[in-house]
Amino acid sequence: MNTNFKALIALAILNEVLGSGLEDENPALFQTQDAGKNWGAAGSSESASAGVEGSTNYKSLVKIIGFPFRLFMRYIRGSYKNDPFRTFLELCLVVFFVWYVSRQKYKMNQNDIKLTEKEIDELVQEWKPEPLVPGLSKTERLILDSIPVIDGQNGVEVRLKNGDMVDNFSNYDYLGFMSNNEKAREKAVKTLRNYGVGACGPPGFYGTLDVHMELEKKVAEFMGAEAAIIYSQGMATGLSVIPCFSKRDGVIVADSGVNFVLQQGIQLSRSKVFWYKHNDMEDLENVLTTTNKYISKIKGPTPKKFIVTEGLFTDTGSIVNLPKILELKKKYKYRLILDDSAGIGALGARGAGVLDYYYGEKEGNGKDGVAEATKEVEILLGSLWQAFGGSGGFCCAAKELIGHQRLSGLGYVFSASMPAIMAVTASDAISRLAERDGDGRLALRKLNENISYMRQLLEEINNNNNKSINGYASEEKRLRNKDSNVSSISSVSTNNDNFTDRDSGIIEIEGDDNSPIIHVHLTPNCMRQAVQKLGGNGGINSTQQFWTRQDEELVMMQLASEIQTTYKVLVCSSLYVVEREKEPAPEPSLRIIVSAGHSKHQIIKCVEAIENSINKLINNY
Amino acid sequence: MFAHIRDRFGKIFYPEEYTSLKEVDGYAPLITDFESLWNRRLYTRISDAFNRPITGVAGGSVALLERESKDYNRTFRLTGGKKTVLNLASYNYLGFAQSEGYCADTVEDSLRTNGIGMSMPRNQGGQTKKQIEVEKMVARYLGVDDAVVVSMGYATNSTVIPLLTSKGTLIISDELNHSSLVSGARMSGATIAVFKHGDTKDLEAVLRRRISQGQPRTHRPWRNILVVVEGLYSMEGEFCDLVEIVRLKKQYKFNIYLDEAHSIGAIGKTGRGVCEYFGVDFKDVDILMGTFTKSFGAVGGYIAGRKDIIEHMRLSCYSNMYTECMPYPVLAQVESSLQLMMDEVPDWVGDGPARIRQLAENSEYFFHRLIELGFLVLGSPGSPVVPLLLFNPGKIPAFSRMILERNIAVVVVSYPATPIIAARVRFCISASHSREDLDYALEQIDEVGDLLNLKLAKK
Repeated sequence: MNTNFKALIALAILNEVLGSGLEDENPALFQTQDAGKNWGAAGSSESASAGVEGSTNYKSLVKIIGFPFRLFMRYIRGSYKNDPFRTFLELCLVVFFVWYVSRQKYKMNQNDIKLTEKEIDELVQEWKPEPLVPGLSKTERLILDSIPVIDGQNGVEVRLKNGDMVDNFSNYDYLGFMSNNEKAREKAVKTLRNYGVGACGPPGFYGTLDVHMELEKKVAEFMGAEAAIIYSQGMATGLSVIPCFSKRDGVIVADSGVNFVLQQGIQLSRSKVFWYKHNDMEDLENVLTTTNKYISKIKGPTPKKFIVTEGLFTDTGSIVNLPKILELKKKYKYRLILDDSAGIGALGARGAGVLDYYYGEKEGNGKDGVAEATKEVEILLGSLWQAFGGSGGFCCAAKELIGHQRLSGLGYVFSASMPAIMAVTASDAISRLAERDGDGRLALRKLNENISYMRQLLEEINNNNNKSINGYASEEKRLRNKDSNVSSISSVSTNNDNFTDRDSGIIEIEGDDNSPIIHVHLTPNCMRQAVQKLGGNGGINSTQQFWTRQDEELVMMQLASEIQTTYKVLVCSSLYVVEREKEPAPEPSLRIIVSAGHSKHQIIKCVEAIENSINKLINNY
Repeated sequence: MFAHIRDRFGKIFYPEEYTSLKEVDGYAPLITDFESLWNRRLYTRISDAFNRPITGVAGGSVALLERESKDYNRTFRLTGGKKTVLNLASYNYLGFAQSEGYCADTVEDSLRTNGIGMSMPRNQGGQTKKQIEVEKMVARYLGVDDAVVVSMGYATNSTVIPLLTSKGTLIISDELNHSSLVSGARMSGATIAVFKHGDTKDLEAVLRRRISQGQPRTHRPWRNILVVVEGLYSMEGEFCDLVEIVRLKKQYKFNIYLDEAHSIGAIGKTGRGVCEYFGVDFKDVDILMGTFTKSFGAVGGYIAGRKDIIEHMRLSCYSNMYTECMPYPVLAQVESSLQLMMDEVPDWVGDGPARIRQLAENSEYFFHRLIELGFLVLGSPGSPVVPLLLFNPGKIPAFSRMILERNIAVVVVSYPATPIIAARVRFCISASHSREDLDYALEQIDEVGDLLNLKLAKK
């Protein structure tokens, strides 16, 4: 590209010089210069032949070198007479050209050290690459082995590889559409017989099926947006949409609690990022002010400015303060990229996510303000693989922006489109929610009941265990004395008595009251006990936080597998690619996802399992 | 140029049509006029040649939904009509995109017993027995230690490369690598160097310079080097020079990441990709990546290679951690098509190998016939992708419309997948094409080629 450009400039200049040189030739001048005869008509070939014919080598050399020089001087003289300004201008061009070419070369090899071929060979010989990946550590191996393997269909209850039936609390299928879905399956079989499995091409090249277009229309209608576009994988949605709009010159203000996909999307866009504290509106306002100051210092046109946040945060279960964000975004003139992947299908009166939660139909008034609110959000992302049981994700926005994505959304342009079966499944799920009296609405109500029931029970765990924790030191001593094997640790608990005042109970429950995603952490006190029991790095003589993140992960994993094997409940410890997450990575937790399909009995069983497992872990029953 | 001038005037005279481009009320335009120039000024006029909606199976022939536009392609309306055309557009190399036959039957069984999707990330409860079975099968097919499957082809590249590389790693990538590889490399934070497409001499020069110079600024030695190449370049129809690259690997000790998105299943005597085609040991390539989108008629991708690498992937691949896992119907499709390709289904003996043979014959035939006709064709003989150069973007809609009138669907490619002035039409050959199909297509292409003056290589 660059060389082409250079060559073009060179050609243009040469053309200019030669062209004008010849143009200015007037016969009178031509006559007076006897040297002119040599080259005037035929140019360089003649001069070369003249060189060969020349009497001595020296003479011919002079002629060859002298030729362009004379040409140049003659040209200057000729054109100077007519237009001195032009000569000057052209000279400037030549100087610029020389400078331009040399500058590029200099920059490329600026830091290079000159080496001989032999030295390079030696260096190549010497160089020892590290292995591409480090081997798995002990903890990583344990975690990898502990990941449950499901045999058979998805649903509220699933069968594990070893044949156990377990209650599933790790499924994003909030509405329970995936269990007992005979109808959906029949439809899927029908779709298969019509469309096959893969579409065998990206959407641009005959990969757009009619079912995809229907799904897009349905999604747009459901969210009250102008248009929608579907991506074939959930992760690809965020990764494509953010870089599609925010480029190197963009400015992004993002919540520090956004999930990994958005973090990567932001990184990929190479925009300037400012983080604000998770869901902290005051801090957001501060950051916006400083960002605006930063922007006012930049020369050039106003950059594109975005606020990036999630609706329902996957990693914490909290719900964004949307009205405040909309207000701030208007005040500071930002655009909003809202990723409501986790919230859509769970929040609001008709499951349209966080927008529905704030602006949807409330009891008493029959007014649904989702469509108007959606217009306020410039770019709305959602997923089809979570609540809707299909695969992929979508983006809702104004028509022009969707059109832009069809050419510039990398995950759309360069990837095969979604299998028809998945599109039809997702589309059906949306229909079930959209119908006013459909079973989707029923499921939503059930889901809300289940969420509050689950939370209530979880709170009770703490009440039940408060007593034992408050008097923890003594009780623990008693237990220790019973069990001589671990008596050496008892001294620690007395050192850390101040813990017991700080937190009561054994678990911390994270997230909004209406969130179906509930993260359960252990209190520091409890975690300390657990780490010690597992014989992790729980050093005896260190300070308060004396366990590492790996220990915590191990504890959570242990808990999850205990809950799974003993109590037949599938709850996952939340895993992250820690080294690639933004600092600090979300803390390890048990991620419980409540579904409308769960019965009261199952919820009780789940909570009991959690309580008992924790108690077992820290008390070594 | 003209388009830019038109924009300038347009902004003054028709403000309402340009609202999305102008700075309104302190908001910078979301789409800059330069970025979207192609989209608005050129693409709209030829957009009837793209995003053509289809229905049914994209097999040897495909049903297009007819559409019309009354406002110069700004909007389309489906007329409700259908038109069945010969499909030279889909990546259905082995013809596994079917709604009947062994694959479809297997998928139906799987749908009835296992249901549809999992709606769980793989490492968060979504790992199924089937996934592990399919992974073992892929590993067996390629003769390597282990493999891991990922739910989307694009995401396989863009979420795996960042895990293999980090700061201090050098990624050397072919300049024409697919966008997913570029995204992955960018996310990784590693240093990226580029070598000229298919030029192993340039690769060697880059290697020598980079290894001897070490990391930029600090001149420390690299932690490791990953050379990223594609087996078959889908826009060029060219194979990478794998033999030479493996030789260089032995000399310069780098790792090879081979993207076989298009070549797996389609190339080689038994469909095992470019390694088989060139006779290279599979174990010499550190990471074998491929997709199930093309030859397998499914979606998703895989990574195969040494056990330590794959275990690392399985635990921390972004797609396994943060997004949906492979759904059952897709797994069943992959499994059944692999079984056929390995010829392990008693009732369908010889079906898979016959497809692979048929594809090879078809591609050779089509390629040589096009050259005989005098077209300027890119690529290597034997590649199932045959690009024909049009150069002038103006010929894109002309070719596409004329060939569609003759009941053939082709892919015309231009910006952003190729440079604007190197527009091309791409034929994807499939095992489900019969010789008559191809002859018909060649006849029609011949006619259109004469009309559009495309036979640039004619003597």
